[in-house]
Amino acid sequence: MTVLIVLVALAVGAYLVAVLESWAVHGRLEPARPAISALALLGRESLLARTPDRLFFEAGPVVLLLAGLLAVAVIPLAPGLIVTDLATGALFLNAALAYVLVALIMAGWGPNGAYAMIGGWRFLGQFVAYAMLIVMPITAVAMRAESLSTVDIVTSQSTLWNIAYQPLGFVLFVAAAMGLCWLPPLDLPTARGDLAGGIEAEYTGARLAVLRLARMVLIMALAGATVTFYLGGWLGPWLPAWAWSAIKILFVAGLMVSVGRLVPRVREAQYLEISWKLGIPLALANIFLVGVITLVVPI
Amino acid sequence: MTPQMIFLMFFGGAAVWFGIVVFRTLSMVRSALALLFSQTAVGVMFLLMQAEFLGVLQIMMMATEMSVMAIFMVMFMMDPGGMGAMDMTHQKRLSLWAGGIGFVAALAVIWLADWGPANLQIPDATEQTAELGRELLGRSMFIFESAALMILTAMVAATMVAIHPSEGRKR
Repeated sequence: MTVLIVLVALAVGAYLVAVLESWAVHGRLEPARPAISALALLGRESLLARTPDRLFFEAGPVVLLLAGLLAVAVIPLAPGLIVTDLATGALFLNAALAYVLVALIMAGWGPNGAYAMIGGWRFLGQFVAYAMLIVMPITAVAMRAESLSTVDIVTSQSTLWNIAYQPLGFVLFVAAAMGLCWLPPLDLPTARGDLAGGIEAEYTGARLAVLRLARMVLIMALAGATVTFYLGGWLGPWLPAWAWSAIKILFVAGLMVSVGRLVPRVREAQYLEISWKLGIPLALANIFLVGVITLVVPI
Repeated sequence: MTPQMIFLMFFGGAAVWFGIVVFRTLSMVRSALALLFSQTAVGVMFLLMQAEFLGVLQIMMMATEMSVMAIFMVMFMMDPGGMGAMDMTHQKRLSLWAGGIGFVAALAVIWLADWGPANLQIPDATEQTAELGRELLGRSMFIFESAALMILTAMVAATMVAIHPSEGRKR
């Protein structure tokens, strides 16, 4: 039953975020647009490139969807409303998200096309940039909660949300999360304009629909993770717990899909340089600061 | 036979099968990802044996390691896609002997070692994680710290080797 509720919530959320994204891209609020484009994709012929690695080509989008769904499984939407409350939930989230990389390499390699392949391998470089900045802020969050369980992490924020307790970690995590979902300005693996769609270039029809859906699920998973780790999850006054989760997740997802479009695309080398020379020292400083605060001030 | 044992056998079989696939394919990317799925199956076996932290860690680490390995194989191999049907195996007799001896040695250890009674009191996942933390920051700290330092040294050295010496002087 819980699984069904979470899946329905995910579907509704993904649809709303797709509406928000099309608003951010086209400047017009059209609630029916995602449904129309999904139908259009499903109605179109799904082409197969010449001499593809068929297995990877077919499996790429599906693995991406599975990785997103597994990540959603450890995100609590309300007390008791979580697919599985693992003792290692925060680590499990990382494990599921690591397969995003595998899926994109498969999707890039599969169609035997230059643009797609460059897109796939570019994401590997992007991964080297964002990976540490996902893991290190989560370490600081787990330090405060003294647990890797996502439910414990939410309840640890009952007095003060982590966005106020460790704002540095929040900024780093959201930026890295946008890199993980390849959202602008970090949309290097698709990069309209210089890669002609990159990993999406050779996908058409139903396969492209699955790929786009998987990316939406991924955005929802990362927004859910941000809310769980930094915005107090379901905690909030007056409204029921699930409503707070829904409002916060939609707000974060909306910000993620819209704000980055105001900045020009970051080059791969720049992104790596910023991440390693600025991001990682800041993430280490964040761990140190949170450690000191946790030991000295009991909040 | 419990469901746990059936699943354990299934994923054990999957780990071995994907291990075989590594050598049966000509595509370097397929080979690397087959090795990844073999290791993922081992991670699932950890989960089935109620070693949650180790299982999740194995599943997470292997995804990134094997992906990085895949790009290196694509960079260095002459026929990374396997479309030229190049045979990239070599020293077959030596490999067969080494593999055979390793297999027999592993079987001998499994059958001959005294494993002691099975531990029926498995601590829950939270307790396991806490105990692992105490182990890593207590008795095993020196080993892990020195390993970390060695890896860091190797990383710095590899980067130094990769940078062409004239690049610094151009500016």
